Amino acid sequence: MPRSSKNGYWPWFPASLVLAGIIVFIFATFGPPASSSGFVALLKGLFLNISPEYAESKAHYRMLPGPGSWLMAFVLGMAIGGFIAGRTWRSTIRDIPAMWVKRFGASKWKRYGAAFAGGFLILFGARLAGGCTLGLFISGTTQLAVSGLYFGAVIFAAAMLTARLVYGKQRKESDHD
Amino acid sequence: MTEIWLGVCSGIAFGFVIQRIGATNPDKMARAHLMLDSTIPKFMLMAVAVSVIGLLGLTSAGLGRLVIHPTSLVATGLAGVLFGAGWGLMGYCPGTCWAAVGEGRLDAVFAFLGGLAGTLVFAHVHEAVIPALYMPTNLGQLTLASLFGGRAAAAVLLFVLLLLAVWLIGKIWQGEEDMPEVEDA
Repeated sequence: MPRSSKNGYWPWFPASLVLAGIIVFIFATFGPPASSSGFVALLKGLFLNISPEYAESKAHYRMLPGPGSWLMAFVLGMAIGGFIAGRTWRSTIRDIPAMWVKRFGASKWKRYGAAFAGGFLILFGARLAGGCTLGLFISGTTQLAVSGLYFGAVIFAAAMLTARLVYGKQRKESDHD
Repeated sequence: MTEIWLGVCSGIAFGFVIQRIGATNPDKMARAHLMLDSTIPKFMLMAVAVSVIGLLGLTSAGLGRLVIHPTSLVATGLAGVLFGAGWGLMGYCPGTCWAAVGEGRLDAVFAFLGGLAGTLVFAHVHEAVIPALYMPTNLGQLTLASLFGGRAAAAVLLFVLLLLAVWLIGKIWQGEEDMPEVEDA
């Protein structure tokens, strides 16, 4: 079994068993876990307050639950879990990844712009497919759904190709400026 | 109310674990995508493999709630390409976005805002896009159980295939790296 890394990351194998335990617990107490639905729930809650007619007129908001749901509670819990994990983390938490700085420089707005564009793509894609890495690949594959396996294969392939285009050829130590 | 508390507690556990494996760290995710660090892909596929068997046990005991998403050749595939492009570009997926915002990463806040914009636009065009892209090649709620004659046989087969994939990733990816996050920009 691999050792825990120097900067505090858990070894992957026991961590994967813990995550599987959480996933099975969620199937038992709720159903398939999902996280891109949380974005829909948040917007639905917003529109129900500022323009209920709009929320009612759109199929995508009608078909998903609003803010008072397990899905919304789950993603807020994820943020709380991330917060607790971050507060108890001994390495620096960066606003811009080190690899990004090496490749594109330290400009904050270039990174934030790319993060915004990437965020747009992942959620547009997830809502088109009906789920994300968790809601479609992990949940779907756990339920033996072909859609989950298909989506998982395509997202990994596309992400690996995109990362190569973005970061260029990398050696073990990245040597780009 | 129980439902809300179950959701919050499940989310806290999930968010904590994915931070501790490095999935909320876009440096580590980029190195996974560049085949330099195998920990996250092995972690994900192993978690799914064990969940497959866990859920099989759960459903055999008459527990658990399933929701099978249909497979649309065009829409699911195109969605995967868009999703993968965004994921490879900035290193967050929707789930890690929530956890990374909580963790305090400022670029994740922008990914989150972009995510809200993407959701807003998709929800607005849903009525036009779904009939055009999703429905024509919708194969329905396909599962491996229907293709391989029975849940148990399909689950065991998938479990073995996922273990094989974990083993292959361990062989092909360059290794498990410690990405020092100490020096700051």
